[in-house]
Amino acid sequence: MPQTTIYGSPRSVGAPDSRPPAVATTDLARLFAGSPALAGVTLRIEGGRTVALLGPNGAGKTTLLRLLSTAIRPSYGIVRVDGLDVDRDAGELRKRVAYLSHATGLYDDLTARENLAFAAAMLGTPDARPRIQRALDDIGLGSRAEDRVVTFSAGMRKRLALGRILLGSASVVLLDEPYAALDADGMELVDRLLVAWHEVGVSVVVASHAIGRLDAYLDGRVVLERGLVAETSGEGVTHAPPGMPQQRRPAVAGVTR
Amino acid sequence: MNSLRGHARVALAVARKDALAELRGRHALVSTLFFAAVVLLLFGFALGPDAARLAAAAPGLLWLAVVFAGVLAVNRLHLLETDDGAFEQLALYPVPRQAIYAGKALGGFAVMLLLAVLVLGAVGILFAVDVPSAWPALLVTAVLGAAGVAAVGTFYAGVTIRLRAREVMLPLLMLPVLAPLLLGAVKATGAALAGDPFGELGAWLQLLVAFDVIMIVAGAATYGYLLED
Repeated sequence: MPQTTIYGSPRSVGAPDSRPPAVATTDLARLFAGSPALAGVTLRIEGGRTVALLGPNGAGKTTLLRLLSTAIRPSYGIVRVDGLDVDRDAGELRKRVAYLSHATGLYDDLTARENLAFAAAMLGTPDARPRIQRALDDIGLGSRAEDRVVTFSAGMRKRLALGRILLGSASVVLLDEPYAALDADGMELVDRLLVAWHEVGVSVVVASHAIGRLDAYLDGRVVLERGLVAETSGEGVTHAPPGMPQQRRPAVAGVTR
Repeated sequence: MNSLRGHARVALAVARKDALAELRGRHALVSTLFFAAVVLLLFGFALGPDAARLAAAAPGLLWLAVVFAGVLAVNRLHLLETDDGAFEQLALYPVPRQAIYAGKALGGFAVMLLLAVLVLGAVGILFAVDVPSAWPALLVTAVLGAAGVAAVGTFYAGVTIRLRAREVMLPLLMLPVLAPLLLGAVKATGAALAGDPFGELGAWLQLLVAFDVIMIVAGAATYGYLLED
């Protein structure tokens, strides 16, 4: 299996015990048109872990990832990512979080290289040119670098969106269905990235239905059902039922209003 | 200083990306120019063949064509951001919101200025007005007018980007706000073409400067809220 280099140095990586939790939410709720997509999630994921968000369609996985990425704001409750509050510290937090969503966020009329060059400029990537070339090679699009994205398949777009993450130096990576639309090589690319991120201590939260494939790379699992955490398992992941008084919630000690 | 340089870097990256995408989709620029030409021709036909009448109406027709075509142009620049979640991705970059606004407005300004200069040339030919002799004042007016339309258009295109009826809502929101700019630009153009007999050109240009400053500051201060979902 070819090596994939994670060349950005993660910002807040240290000894696991000295790091803030990658994710700490308290009674997190998010409503859409009055209906709760998340209905009181109290969850803690330790730093440096690779954790899967599991659950049926509509369970709240994507909503939780979007909240963690600062794409949307919580209706109620507290969300901290890498020790920073998503409301108060959103600007600083965006330097530390990378998010692969269902939508790739690419510009159809730009080439693959131009899309990555724009991302590099926005991320303040040092030595951007060689980093972009390495990212293109790593994601297997080196030969299509000068082609416009409008000509790309869904899988190629997903690879390019993954390449954008390689240009930053995130300490928390959020992936929403990373295997969707990818061919076998693309899926191996995701596997390699999961291994590489884990090796350098980047925290990864990944929502996926491909649990069979993902299982080998996971430290922990969070099962969501109807906007609530139904179950957690594995290392570095804990939760509390909604509405429990703070003092009876040892799993989220240190997370206070 | 570093902060200013960082803002400039982001703004230029956004403007360059918009310019590249706009040039790749040349059909959009061509259709905008064609629309401006149609506006000029239709008003020209409506006013009849009287040369003096056409020349008197030229400043107004020029800026109506520029503003109407400008609505299309700024809308097009924001439509780029509807490509596969691009606007949300733009909001997730760790960059100052004012810099994103500045970049979008800069891209809009470049397109608007090109549009204004081309329409000015067309007005000179179609309505027999002496554009070359007044070009310095006309260029200043075009720059200030283009900046104002871009500043207002960028803000309102951000307001309407998530609306289904954005093509309808954008002109409805933009055009009333542009009324002072339209007044100042038409009067300044008229004064410049007439050789400024009453010494009013400076006052109208000051109005345009004040309008631009207010709109740019207001847009930069509030655009960040539009990026939030």
